[in-house]
Amino acid sequence: MVTPGVSGPPAVKPRWRGIALVLLWAGVGVGALLLLAKSVQNSGEFSRLQPWILLLNVIGVVALTVLLARKLTQLVRDYRAHVPGSRLTARTVAIFGALVVAPLLIVYLFSLQFLNRGIDSWFHVEVKQGLSDALVLSRAALDLRVREYSRHTENLAHSLANATAEDVAERVDEERRATAALEMAVYGAHERIVTAAMENPLESLPTRPPPDLVRQVGERRAYVSLEPQAGGEYLIRTAAPFTESPTRADDRYLVAIYAVPTQLAALSEAVQHAYSQYGELAALREPLKSSFRLTLTLVLLLAMLAAIYGAIFSAQRLVRPVQDLIEGTRAVGKGDFGTRLSLPSRDEMGFLVHSFNDMTKRLRRAREEATRSQRVVERERERLAIILARLSTGVVVVDRELTVSIANQAAGAILGTDLSAATGRALPELTAGNERLGQFVAALVVRFGAGREEWREQLDLDSASGRRTLMCACTPQPGADRGLGYVIVFDDITMLLQAQRDAAWGEVARRLAHEIKNPLTPIQLSAELMRRRFLSSMSPQDAEVLERGTRTIVQQVETMQQMVNAFSEYARAPEMRITRFSLNQLASEVADLYRSHDPRVEIRLELDERIDAIEADRGRVRQIFNNLVINALEALDGVAAPRLEIATRFEQRAPDAGYAVVTVCDNGPGIQRELLGRVFDPYVTSKPKGTGLGLAIVKKIVEEHGGRIDADNRPEGGARIRVVLPVTDSTRSAAGTRERRGQLRREIV
Amino acid sequence: MLRVDQFHLRSVLIAVALAVCGADARADALDGVLEVRSAYVSVEGGVYLLHARIEYPVNPAIRDALHDGVTLTVDLDTRIERERRFWFNTDVLELTLRRELDYHAVSDRYLVRDVRSGSQRSFATLEEALSDLGTVEGWPVLVEPQLTAGNFRISVRAGVRRGRLPASLHALLFWTDDWHRVSEWYTWSLPE
Repeated sequence: MVTPGVSGPPAVKPRWRGIALVLLWAGVGVGALLLLAKSVQNSGEFSRLQPWILLLNVIGVVALTVLLARKLTQLVRDYRAHVPGSRLTARTVAIFGALVVAPLLIVYLFSLQFLNRGIDSWFHVEVKQGLSDALVLSRAALDLRVREYSRHTENLAHSLANATAEDVAERVDEERRATAALEMAVYGAHERIVTAAMENPLESLPTRPPPDLVRQVGERRAYVSLEPQAGGEYLIRTAAPFTESPTRADDRYLVAIYAVPTQLAALSEAVQHAYSQYGELAALREPLKSSFRLTLTLVLLLAMLAAIYGAIFSAQRLVRPVQDLIEGTRAVGKGDFGTRLSLPSRDEMGFLVHSFNDMTKRLRRAREEATRSQRVVERERERLAIILARLSTGVVVVDRELTVSIANQAAGAILGTDLSAATGRALPELTAGNERLGQFVAALVVRFGAGREEWREQLDLDSASGRRTLMCACTPQPGADRGLGYVIVFDDITMLLQAQRDAAWGEVARRLAHEIKNPLTPIQLSAELMRRRFLSSMSPQDAEVLERGTRTIVQQVETMQQMVNAFSEYARAPEMRITRFSLNQLASEVADLYRSHDPRVEIRLELDERIDAIEADRGRVRQIFNNLVINALEALDGVAAPRLEIATRFEQRAPDAGYAVVTVCDNGPGIQRELLGRVFDPYVTSKPKGTGLGLAIVKKIVEEHGGRIDADNRPEGGARIRVVLPVTDSTRSAAGTRERRGQLRREIV
Repeated sequence: MLRVDQFHLRSVLIAVALAVCGADARADALDGVLEVRSAYVSVEGGVYLLHARIEYPVNPAIRDALHDGVTLTVDLDTRIERERRFWFNTDVLELTLRRELDYHAVSDRYLVRDVRSGSQRSFATLEEALSDLGTVEGWPVLVEPQLTAGNFRISVRAGVRRGRLPASLHALLFWTDDWHRVSEWYTWSLPE
């Protein structure tokens, strides 16, 4: 995830860009100052640099406008998109902008007003009128002179018309002297000089008459002009034809040049100068005002744009760390604890950013620690689950309402139900159709109801499939509040108890056979000896008593002998002679034998053809059949339409584990419920006769073959005993090995 | 070259400034024909003399301005360049013949003043004064040693502007002064 303001190369670029911008602006400012200094020293130079200064300003305005437009567009876009920090930036810019723009505008308007009024005040109507009056006065004063000299020249010209050439020269020279003219000359046709009199005798030639004079005199009209000179002097040039009649052929004319008195000339020149100066300034009035307005406007624009841009720039620089913090906080909120913000400065904001970075570092460490712990817990839980699954001991964890939170596979097998999907459900909900689980739950309810939270007891659970004995221990769940949950651990010790009983009975049988059988033979021999010795010598009455007594002793001893033999049979463990034979054929032989023995009973055979042959001790398997059939026949005593069913069936429980299942059923009274769990124990029988060892011996032989046996009652009535035998010797060995390993492979019955 | 650049730059800047500031466009105060009609040089005693005929504008605005006291500066710019075939021409010299025209209200005459020599002439009418200004006869521009081997071009240009302004005001009037015009260059090559 890209984090804002991450320290490193990306954060350096804006900083350098900012420095470059500052340097650029500083350069422009220094350049402008240098230009200004240069212009002050040399206005001509300024005139030459002026376009460049103006260009610089215009470029500055355009550049600032573009930059500002971009900044403002970005700001508006961010504001509308609710980008963090945009509102703060906008507010700061508005405040800064207002603080800068308002004074600028006030100064601008004030300056404009001041300039307009100031410039207008230079050109008062009174001044202009005064200058005009002075001008008129000067003109009037000069006109007097002009007219006087003009009239004099005309008169002189007319008086010279009829004079001879010598008189003309003399008169002209005299008149020049008399009037103090600068020069006086008579011209003929084609501007030919007839005579001339000069104030300066060194000057040989008079001034050439100007074209307009020649033209006007040619028209026989007098000419006069007031000609200002370079030094502030004035000359009055007059000319007059000798004759004004165009019909006369005299082309001569007199030209006289007079100097205006110095004082009058100086005054007139002063008036002229003032008038000219004023006129020049007055003509500049509007251009000046426009120029001032434009200059001021340009300066205002530059200042305003620069100020607003500076405000935006500063606001963004101020807000940038805040934006980074907001982005960073959001990232942390989304779980990204790797967020690192670059330090903006060493001020309070920098301290805040440093604290933020420190916080994210601590959070990251804490999360890593939590993740590690969680992983450890998960691993422990997996290990516990594996252990629980492999345990042969049932483990159930329930709360006070008996809602299951943990139940392993062994618990389900022991209780005869599938508890894999029971998590989250209450145990009482699962008892429907499961008598054993119902009794288990009832036992728990009784104990918890009595306030007992920690106990260890043996529970006997009876069901149609027999009694199961559980060693059950309960303890409050460790770590949790007491009473909130219970861990119930239980073991099925039915087989263990059975084995203990079997071992005990074997010992009893062996001792009986050994301890009782030995005295029986002497008793029988002693009784027979007594009868042989004393019977013939006794009276008939005594002999009869003796006869009856000894016969009774012998019969009872024989009975006891048979019983001892049966015990001996039960206790002995002969070496098995494993052969391969047909189980179905053996079943048929037994059935045929007992059909002939008791034709009243209907014996049905249902044989599975898939059982080809099994590997077992044929004699002992025959005994299994014999005992089961005898047991059934005895149960069918007194039953109307007695029926016995013998069935074989092949079961392939694994690729290399085939089993032959032999089922013997009858339609007798069935097994009493209280005897159901102990029906294979010695001396457990409901029949009036018999040793009670038949089924016990069957069970012993079956277990010797690595098989299993169980008994129950059929729903339609009658008992059903089922024997499961391995088909091959290798299967039996494997079964035996598994049994030795103690692995739990309980089958749900 | 600098003058041409400045003129164009100034025109552009004025246009930009007017557009920016929204000022209304005004008619040129120096409206009328301003051109160099003809010009040539003659060599007399190793001195090159310039002869030119220039037509200056005349209109009521100019007349009124002169009567109000405005002085017009009339320049004749001369530039001599050495032609180079594969590169820019190089300047040999630049000269300006500067004269002033103003109206003398006291005498009701128009004065033409040579700024350098200080000499002046007066004329009864503006047309006569402009005619005098428009006739340049034998203005010495250079001497023969200044011209080395190569081809040379002579350019002549006439200009009219409001003259005799204080430098500070001249700077300020940069924005809005429409009293400034120059003609196109009149250029010809010197025969070798």
